[in-house]
Amino acid sequence: MNTRLKEIIESLIFVSLEPLSLEKIKSLLTDFPPEEIEKAAEELLQSYASNQRGIQIIQAAGGFLFTTKPDFDPYIRQLLDQERKSRLSSAALETLSVIAYHQPVTLAQISALRGVDSAQAVKTLLEKKLIKISGRKKAPGKPFLYRTTKKFLTYFGLNSLDDLPQEEELVSLLEEKQEKKNDSA
Amino acid sequence: MASVTSEQETPGYEVRLDFFEGPLDLLLFLIRKKKINIHDIPIALITREYLTYLEQKQHLNLEREAEFLLMAAILIYIKSQMLLPREKDYELEEDPRQPLVSQLLDYERIKKISQLLRTREEAQSKLWSRKNLPFSLSPPEEQIDLEEISIFDLAEKFFTLLKMKEGQSVTLPEGKKFSLEEKIREILISLKKAQFLDFEEYFYSQSSLEEALISFFALLELIKRKVVIALQDNLFQPIKVWLFQGRQDEYPA
Repeated sequence: MNTRLKEIIESLIFVSLEPLSLEKIKSLLTDFPPEEIEKAAEELLQSYASNQRGIQIIQAAGGFLFTTKPDFDPYIRQLLDQERKSRLSSAALETLSVIAYHQPVTLAQISALRGVDSAQAVKTLLEKKLIKISGRKKAPGKPFLYRTTKKFLTYFGLNSLDDLPQEEELVSLLEEKQEKKNDSA
Repeated sequence: MASVTSEQETPGYEVRLDFFEGPLDLLLFLIRKKKINIHDIPIALITREYLTYLEQKQHLNLEREAEFLLMAAILIYIKSQMLLPREKDYELEEDPRQPLVSQLLDYERIKKISQLLRTREEAQSKLWSRKNLPFSLSPPEEQIDLEEISIFDLAEKFFTLLKMKEGQSVTLPEGKKFSLEEKIREILISLKKAQFLDFEEYFYSQSSLEEALISFFALLELIKRKVVIALQDNLFQPIKVWLFQGRQDEYPA
């Protein structure tokens, strides 16, 4: 029974092009107790991670997704005749960082935090669907408010926004950097 | 306070202004380079360093560098505030440097987050999911990055086109009726010939409103049955309709 459940879940994740959430799996497999489904999914992930396989199941944007393992990227690119995937510009990435941590946030707030006008970067991110307009701020001019999207989570391999480093971690990261600087001084 | 004259050496390395994301980035770089305590910035020194960088630029591109100039003005303003005679040392919140310091600390945090995201982007770019894969190599490789567009985008575009068509005088072909099935077949035939259809062009080629509507429904039906796919290069780019490879056989024309 248990093995079978794992196989079912595996097949469901395989056919999903977008991350498949645990809730969705549970809603489909009503014959199985939810906790057994959770356990089976966990085991499935483990078995892919530990076995000698070219593919794995990752958790992204609150769901499970089949991907290849990172080591085989060069071969896959050769097969598909593709260059390395393009990266975001540092302006776009910086803008995205501001939005991720301060959302919902207006363009004026973003530009103030970065010290540069960020209209172009916001436009790029909207086009890439990494951010979306989530409403308007109740302030003069009713400026748009921006939020990150589900695609943002998938793009960076984050399961949820909680996966972003928290304030304390960031502080310790910054302090570490400082100490290193001071030591070498 | 650091004196302006004690440090006259010009930077022995070449760092271009475009290298920096903005004035905060440049300031932070100078502060770290000079190993300055961010909570006690020698404004005169940092202003001079800062201006040295601006001077490297032969021609200022105002659109981009206005922000750099603004920061120079802020630095000089802070300096002038600090030169005002005062009876005792500043309390922290009275320090004219304080707003800039907190701005710099906020910005440093943002930079750190950016770096973390860059690392994740790098790691993630090596993972290929099925969604990354070209569907049976049709559309051609150079078009792989196209975004599939939603029905709503398509409908919106369609109604815009309809509005534009409304203004034109239309000759109604009499008695001619269009069936959905016929239209579907027609679209498939043109797709086999042309590889893809330009959404906009296709609707312009329709002779009447009725025909355009039927074509639109035919297209929606084909998308629903996953026989064709509507793709767009970028926002505001033309929408193109492609055949899904391997599926057209199910709908022989």
